Amino acid sequence: MIHVLIFLPLVFGLLVLLRPGQARGLGLLGAAAALVLGLVSFGAFLDGSSGAYQVPLLAEAGVYYAVAWDGVGAVLMLAVVITTFIALLAAHDVPPAMVGLALLMESGLLGILAARDLVLFYVFFEATLIPSLLMLGLFGGSGRVRALVKFAIFTLVGSLLMLAGILAVRYLGGAPSFLQADLLAHPLAGAAGTWAFAAFLIAFMVKTPLFPLHVWLPDFHAENHPSGLADVMGTLYKVGLFGFFRWALPLFPEAFAAFQPWLLALAALTALGAAWTAYAQTDWKRLLAYGALSHMGVGALGLFSGTPEGALGAIFLLAASAVYTGALFLFAGSLHRRFGTLDLRPTSGLAKSAPALAALGLILVLAMVGLPGLSGFPGEFMNLLGAWQASPVWTFVGFLAVIAAAAYALGAYQQIFHSAPDKPADDLDAFEWQWGTLATLVIVFMGVYPKLFTQALQPAAEALAALLGGGR
Amino acid sequence: MTTLWILFLTALAATFVGFFAPARTAKVFALLGLVAALVSLALRWGEPFSAYGGLYVLDPFAQGFTLVMITGGLLALLADCDYFQRKGWPPFEYYALVAFAVLGGHVMASTAHLGVIVVGLELLSIPLYALAASRRDATSYEASLKYFLLGAVAAAVFLYGIALYFGATGGFVLGAGGSGPVYAAAVMLLLAGLAFKTALVPFHWWTPDVYQGSPSPVTLFMATAVKAAAFAAFARVLAAVGLEGPVFYALAALVLLTVFWGNLTAMVQGEAKRMLAYSSVAHAGYIAIALFGPNPAPAMGYYLLAYALSTGLAFAVLTQLDEGRGVRLGELAGLWSRSPLLGLGWTVALFSLAGLPPLVGFWGKYLVFLEAARGGQYLLVALALFAAVIAAYYYLKLLGAALFAKAAKVEKIVLSGSTPVGIALATLLVVLLGVLPGLGFGLFTAANALVR
Repeated sequence: MIHVLIFLPLVFGLLVLLRPGQARGLGLLGAAAALVLGLVSFGAFLDGSSGAYQVPLLAEAGVYYAVAWDGVGAVLMLAVVITTFIALLAAHDVPPAMVGLALLMESGLLGILAARDLVLFYVFFEATLIPSLLMLGLFGGSGRVRALVKFAIFTLVGSLLMLAGILAVRYLGGAPSFLQADLLAHPLAGAAGTWAFAAFLIAFMVKTPLFPLHVWLPDFHAENHPSGLADVMGTLYKVGLFGFFRWALPLFPEAFAAFQPWLLALAALTALGAAWTAYAQTDWKRLLAYGALSHMGVGALGLFSGTPEGALGAIFLLAASAVYTGALFLFAGSLHRRFGTLDLRPTSGLAKSAPALAALGLILVLAMVGLPGLSGFPGEFMNLLGAWQASPVWTFVGFLAVIAAAAYALGAYQQIFHSAPDKPADDLDAFEWQWGTLATLVIVFMGVYPKLFTQALQPAAEALAALLGGGR
Repeated sequence: MTTLWILFLTALAATFVGFFAPARTAKVFALLGLVAALVSLALRWGEPFSAYGGLYVLDPFAQGFTLVMITGGLLALLADCDYFQRKGWPPFEYYALVAFAVLGGHVMASTAHLGVIVVGLELLSIPLYALAASRRDATSYEASLKYFLLGAVAAAVFLYGIALYFGATGGFVLGAGGSGPVYAAAVMLLLAGLAFKTALVPFHWWTPDVYQGSPSPVTLFMATAVKAAAFAAFARVLAAVGLEGPVFYALAALVLLTVFWGNLTAMVQGEAKRMLAYSSVAHAGYIAIALFGPNPAPAMGYYLLAYALSTGLAFAVLTQLDEGRGVRLGELAGLWSRSPLLGLGWTVALFSLAGLPPLVGFWGKYLVFLEAARGGQYLLVALALFAAVIAAYYYLKLLGAALFAKAAKVEKIVLSGSTPVGIALATLLVVLLGVLPGLGFGLFTAANALVR
């Protein structure tokens, strides 16, 4: 079943590309099938079935097609299938090829999460870049080529460095293959380990993203198709925190310990700096890009604390923010559909004429702010809880970023919906009712019953913290 | 032995048939001959064979490289027709000369005797001088003349190396071993002569002009089959003399110069064929980097196959757009809407050349870097990886010019003859061998017999 789940979106994606006339139906069918399979897989995982499978891919070079779900992979997998379905539900007016590319990306993302061989992980990690680049290049705005080159170069520098690190970790460490278990059994210590960790660090810092390697992110979002579909997939593609959790930290605990103080500082400064920058934005997508960046900083702060709470919080935040950030990008698409612009300033006082739209916006914005009871809260809380044990000072900086989130997110909400003069706008249409309801349900569910996910994440987070020595 | 005879008879048949029958008949003969040669290789795959007292050695190494050359030859034959259907192109000589060149490359790869290498080298080169001129216009003649003059110099350098080698070792067979300044000079001259054909910097100066000026299918053939043949001889010479002392540093310098100069220069080109010419220079550097490993032949062979399919595919697409003046980047605009097959082929080829999985080019890069890492050359690998990022930039530029730019021309491109077959086949192989890398690499794992 794990293979069907990984490759079914790919098949549907190719079908959509071949039959663009039926893009909407085929796309929704593919995403719905992946959603059902994902839910079933998650249920099976909670019952103790990881779906582990491996077969040699390039036996001579020690590369395996090895996949399995663990708690982290399963929770994020759920976020991917749910968010992709919501996004395809919302994106009813995008070019057909975009739907196909989004499904191709979904396949790649599921592969990234399931891969248990480092080279296989790299293959999925890089392969997902292709549809992502095509989506931006084919359907982006006027500055798309510049944004695309920035995005591609940052990503490729990081991942090619990581490729060098991957080769080093096996050959200097002496592992017989690239399987996760083999690599963990043959750790690479000393100076070589530090260099290899640095290579992974850069790759995952680009993809988290963390300051100063986040430069590609605002342009990427600002230039992508206004519907928000590409932004949702791009948000899901920010798998840096997962990369740290699954690969970089367990493989190099020693090097991580040496880098830890700096990484905590970097994470906290990313969180605060991005929040500060978000406050100054007047473009919805740029604001959301910086807001999401700030949240990733908070997540990184938790993960780098090396505590079980922090590690758990980071992955929970990653999963939760995939849903609410994705939904916010779709919401931005709805605004663009009404006004033809993503600028915040000319739109004002919409709450009078479009109350349901305002309510949806409020829920999404509050999730982003981290209101208890919505999905943003548990992750943020646990991150800061974990980070406090490692560094109270940087945690305080992180707190400031969380507070700032209220300022930029609610400020933007107030500008659009409640400031004078009142501008008329259509209220939610049928598509928006559908995806809006679904997103709200997921956000509320994750907020009131996080235990479903934390219990899946708990063992992995504790194992990581034990490997890192508790971070203290 | 059968392979050699089949290739020889194919070349002869294509030549004589062309005198009496239309060019299309020569094409059928050449295609069937190359396929037959492929089958004869496959039947004896992995079994070493030698004849003529060891002058002709069809070991797994030679089989692997011959496979790449035949692949390049088949692509060049299939993608010969261009959209513009120029009168008299392709002439029947095209098919005969391609067959002769494949034969020459096969001879060059299948021997450890320097004299036979020269025979193969000339049998490969002379048809190419004629092929480069076969469009019969000024740029085509210019390309041919440049290729001929510089090729003659390179051949002379190689011959001079042979003379010194004979002086130092008393024989013509590689692997005799030797020492002293004469031997060292001989080795350097041999490698320099072959570095010309492989287009390693600083012996690459002919490449951009010749690739740009030659008819596109000929460029396709040069970039694939000729490079494979040259690398076969290069690897054999290097394996025989060992990678020690000055040879090591010379090779390291060649590799670094090649990957950086090739990629950096490609970045600033405004014409697609020229850009791909510099890209092919850079790829020579990646192929050569495998030579630092303990067992380079399988990785090299696989890289060459991956590169031949990808770059061959790219040139096959350009063939359809080339009116004889090369293809400016602006002329690529709207490729996907003008012909979806060309758009798909172009996209797949460029992502593969850039080394992105799940396409075959990624596994090629992965395997050669792995090989160099096994040899302990981490710094070299890191630098070459860095150069690969530069390469990604101009591949994206080429891709963007075709896909992301607004189209000036909108008329459809109608593919004619066997071209769509060639392009579809190459596209399919680039994807298939990328998804199942073991399928392709398995062919080359037997090739470790000779090269150290």
